Amino acid sequence: MAEPEIPGGLRLAADIGGTFTDIAAFDPATGALRLGKALSTPSHLVDGIAAGVERADVAFSDAALFLHGSTIAINTMLERTGARAALVITKGFRDIYEIGRVNRPDSYNLFFKKHRPLIERAMCFELDERMLAEGEPLKPLDETEVRALGEKLAALDVEAVAILLLHSYRNPDHERRTKAILESCLPGAFVTASYELSQEYREFERCSTVAANAYIGPGVRSYLDGIGDHLEAQSFPGAFLVVQSTGGLYDVAQARHDCVHMLESGPAAGVIAGRALARAVGIENAITFDMGGTTAKSGVIYGGEALTTGSAKIGGYEQGLPVQIAMMDIFEVGTGGGSIARTDAQGALRVGPESAGASPGPACYGTGGTTPTVTDANLILGRIAPDRFLGGTMTLDPDAAFEAMKSGIADPLGMDVVEAAAGVLQIAATAMSFAVKGVSTERGLDAGEFVLVACGGAGPLHASAVAREIGMREIVVPPAPGHFSAIGMLHADLRYDYVRTWFARLAEAPLDEVERLYGEMEAEGRAAVAATGAEVSEIVVGRAADMRYVGQEHAVTVDLAAELFAAGDRAAIKQRFDEVHGVRYGTSAPDEPAELVSLRTTVSGLLPKPPAVRGDEGGSADPAPFETRRIYFSETGDFVAAPVYARADIGAGATLDGPAVIEEAASTTLLLPGDRLRVDEFGNLRIRVGSGAL
Amino acid sequence: MNGDRPRVDPVVTELVRNGVIAITEEMKTNLTRTAYNMIIYEALDFTVGLFTARGETVSIGLGLPMFIRGMAETVKAKLAHFGDDIVPGDILLTNDAYITGSHLNHLTFSMPIFDNGTLVGFAVCMAHWPDIGGTLDGMTTDIYSEGLQIPILKYRRAGKVNQDLLDILRMNVRLPERAMGDLRAQLTAISSGERRFLELIRRYGREAVLDSIAAIMDQSEAAARERTLAIPDGVYEAESFMDDDGVDIAQPVPIRVKVIVEGERMTVDLSDVSEQVKGFYNSGVTTGFACSQVAFKCLTSPTDYPINDGSFRNLDVVVPMGRIVSAEKPAPMRWWMTFPMTIVDTVFKALAPAIPDRIVAGHHADLIIGMLNGVNPDTSEFYIAFIGPTGGGWGAKQAEDGNSATICMNDGDTHNSPVEQLEAKYPLLFESHALRPDSCGAGRQRGGLGIENVVQARAPLTVNTQIDRVHCAPWGLAGGGDATGNSVALRRDGTWREDFPNAKVFTARLGPGEAFALRSGGGGGFGPSLERPLEAVAHDVRQGYVTPEAAFRDYGVVCDADTLAVDVEASENIRAAKATLAAAGETPGG
Repeated sequence: MAEPEIPGGLRLAADIGGTFTDIAAFDPATGALRLGKALSTPSHLVDGIAAGVERADVAFSDAALFLHGSTIAINTMLERTGARAALVITKGFRDIYEIGRVNRPDSYNLFFKKHRPLIERAMCFELDERMLAEGEPLKPLDETEVRALGEKLAALDVEAVAILLLHSYRNPDHERRTKAILESCLPGAFVTASYELSQEYREFERCSTVAANAYIGPGVRSYLDGIGDHLEAQSFPGAFLVVQSTGGLYDVAQARHDCVHMLESGPAAGVIAGRALARAVGIENAITFDMGGTTAKSGVIYGGEALTTGSAKIGGYEQGLPVQIAMMDIFEVGTGGGSIARTDAQGALRVGPESAGASPGPACYGTGGTTPTVTDANLILGRIAPDRFLGGTMTLDPDAAFEAMKSGIADPLGMDVVEAAAGVLQIAATAMSFAVKGVSTERGLDAGEFVLVACGGAGPLHASAVAREIGMREIVVPPAPGHFSAIGMLHADLRYDYVRTWFARLAEAPLDEVERLYGEMEAEGRAAVAATGAEVSEIVVGRAADMRYVGQEHAVTVDLAAELFAAGDRAAIKQRFDEVHGVRYGTSAPDEPAELVSLRTTVSGLLPKPPAVRGDEGGSADPAPFETRRIYFSETGDFVAAPVYARADIGAGATLDGPAVIEEAASTTLLLPGDRLRVDEFGNLRIRVGSGAL
Repeated sequence: MNGDRPRVDPVVTELVRNGVIAITEEMKTNLTRTAYNMIIYEALDFTVGLFTARGETVSIGLGLPMFIRGMAETVKAKLAHFGDDIVPGDILLTNDAYITGSHLNHLTFSMPIFDNGTLVGFAVCMAHWPDIGGTLDGMTTDIYSEGLQIPILKYRRAGKVNQDLLDILRMNVRLPERAMGDLRAQLTAISSGERRFLELIRRYGREAVLDSIAAIMDQSEAAARERTLAIPDGVYEAESFMDDDGVDIAQPVPIRVKVIVEGERMTVDLSDVSEQVKGFYNSGVTTGFACSQVAFKCLTSPTDYPINDGSFRNLDVVVPMGRIVSAEKPAPMRWWMTFPMTIVDTVFKALAPAIPDRIVAGHHADLIIGMLNGVNPDTSEFYIAFIGPTGGGWGAKQAEDGNSATICMNDGDTHNSPVEQLEAKYPLLFESHALRPDSCGAGRQRGGLGIENVVQARAPLTVNTQIDRVHCAPWGLAGGGDATGNSVALRRDGTWREDFPNAKVFTARLGPGEAFALRSGGGGGFGPSLERPLEAVAHDVRQGYVTPEAAFRDYGVVCDADTLAVDVEASENIRAAKATLAAAGETPGG
């Protein structure tokens, strides 16, 4: 597909993270990419955007598109600062949300905790209606009862209402009507029904999804409206699009209703950036490795596409709340720069998952932290420069790091401080390799065959060690790895995901009905794309079906060409399912009958992208280091003098051999002995990982 | 800790610790993603693990918490059986219920791991096969009616598969294709365990890995000793009982445990638990050890991983043969999982006076499953379905309320099935799936709530339930109240029947519109209920966890039946009066 013409006007992206707000602006007229970074301003997030935009030296009035991702949605949920919400639910099922799936992952812990609902039981109200699994009403909706409930909710001053009626995925009439009546009774309240977010079976997961939407809805809506006001005040003439957890964009008008789609926008945009990078340099299969202060996250690009999943848990596996919508498939481990190293009473050395965070922070920050962390270990071993941390905005204290490592680890274990620091990094690398491997093993893929794309502030520093743990052979470090998510937003497309649960055996399924459902979803998606007002070059429709063998519970998502259903080719559909089952689960049963569980449609409106060329910041093909630093490597068992380069100094075609360090504003790339780096024509650092363990 | 062991590098030890945990996690992923039956990949009825060359547990991935002992004992039995005749390329198999301690469905495959000809460990996988032959439903009274028994033998000898065995297996199970799928999944799991363990050895060296494993076990032992030392010395006893064995109806089965703490050692003595019973609720001696270890781990190393045998070196278990958890051939074992859970709870009860801050009050202690079969009118096909596991209430702790609606001790990360899924698949209509208000035991900390499922048949079907703990309700501790127990009810011709002697309903037939109810018990309370703060009771009433009637009866709290508002003054007066009565020796809490 040829790159379409870029229409006039800036494309401006803002990614609000926990610590920083990153701005990336692309000017199609000049091809220039401008970046800005400002501290996030939790009390009034739009200030951080304004500051970042100013630092990037661009103006909203020149922009045609504003692309935005934010932690507002997820923080509202995790910090429990959402609305006073009520849940309206089918009679007999008031407790679905609290009961959940009854599992107890932390099996020997008598002090385990269950998930905690966002809406308490006293605010859950039943309606005496009932839909059957076939989609026929067993007990019709009593509108008088709904109105009476509406008055009761009005008296309770609720700000938001979530509606979950059984089998609404099959027939949403009762939910739709209930919503309309409650909206009329509760003007100004945020009313949301489960079928608008998920038309997939599993009442607890759908309930948790719609409850989360209600809980975060009023806050997210007023946040988006605040940004809208700011844009208007800045005379922004273009379209305001928001990043979803799939990495796709949707219109702010829809984001104001379907707020849960925003939950994981930042991490998802990072994977989209990885996809853009992989496509630009011709890599089919890649895993992103995004390491920050407290966690390391990985997503997968397979066959040029970012892999998504149909549901995820917000807040961790053990106590998290499920959200049943399409999301980027991201695997996370609790290891980051702030991870604390400690010894336990029995003399074992542990790293993480406890983190020193930003406060008290690693010992070397000098902000009150006294326990040694991964960042302290990096400083002790000379891997980061004390005077150039975060682009020189912060000075680190090597003596404090040394003292913390000595008293916390080295002395109790009878080790040398340097040996202890190296050990801490090795343990951290192993732990992070599990995130990278985990995201692929679950799908039956071999991580060793993938390219590692390192991003986030700390990703490029640890990537080589992680790659060696897994046996990955190549690493790519993009330009500005600390701005990767914001840049990824510039590469995102409009995307609308739909799903309809529809149980039928493949051999007997009326395919004209299937075709009609796909057609409905597609039409809805095309209308949504058109409603954004953004200029799209093409609309791409993807179809898939969740399928399983008759008798199985778990289904797998199978991408299917539209022609297969149109042609009624059941044998080809079955064969495709057998193949996917074989890859994912290692076995298939071509002789066993299959059934359809859910039909999925993804409608993407392709937006023009920044071309994959580097601006002409220059850099030499034969760069010189600006200093030599003594860095410790386990391979050599000693400190060795390693050259240190400024990222801006190394240009396309340059090659460097490890050990070496490449520094840029928000990130440091470390080449281990045996690694070999080449800078490609787009300015990416391409690292061939040296053989041998650490 | 043994002082004569070589000093190991703490970094390598930590890398090996993370390594063996990752290996067992990968074995688990490989099993669940390739298994064929949902009992494995949904109910997680399996366990994978790595073991030393002597059969000690290095790391196990759950699976079933109660299967903490089964695989190690199976490896040891195989070592004893074959002696030196274990060679590279072998895979050893058994499902002998008197070795695994559980039922015949648990096929356990073990692969010896050889590094350059030296046996360095085992990779093992137990998984539940949905069928191993035997009778389909009803009660069993000996092991022979429960299916095919496979003694210890070699599934593969030096790389050559035992085809005769495979043929026998295929002939004796009802779903041979699916069984073969599960068998392949188990082999995939143990092969990946073997491969990764050898990689670990290549990476860090054989001596370093084996020394690290020894060090990890020593560290676990040291932790267990330290935490046992914190328990006051003494002999602690408690008792409870099961309703009956399903054969001798209404004949209680006594559970008496004695726990002896002496310094760093603990002994769990099960000599006085009931002798083995006629019905299928028995388990083998391995489970006598397992339930003691489960209780011990909950108290001394609940969140320590990897799960390894070092943690149990200071635990002694006394269990004479012929008891319900040390049953001898030919005792039936099919429903082995129910009774041992109550033994675990009874150990906590025994230790309550010694370590009130580390134990929980009694829980519902049953899977609460309804097994159904019938013909689906849509497809005219015969189906077998199960409702549950239901989950129920857990006991309160000294400083926390109990959890509601959570799976019982035998199971861990096991999920229920969505109502929408069950209704779409089978001719069923759920009338409710709800918490049971007031099912919790009252107390300063109250227990969790149980669940009620009311399920209507839309076409004729047959129900079986094997549920216990109706009469021995989940107990409260330290003056806390008992919870409501488990129960079953049937609705026929519009009338509910609730007066069963137990909750074991075999082959009950229901017509369209008729229904059954499965009710799980709550959790026991902790501490006198009058000490529960008024605001906490008011909160429970507002949420509907506790009704106004129960708030008055159990807590002396007066609420308006309509608004649920608490009358603070009246409540305080009543609570004060009740407290005075209690102090004078009357029944506390009303």
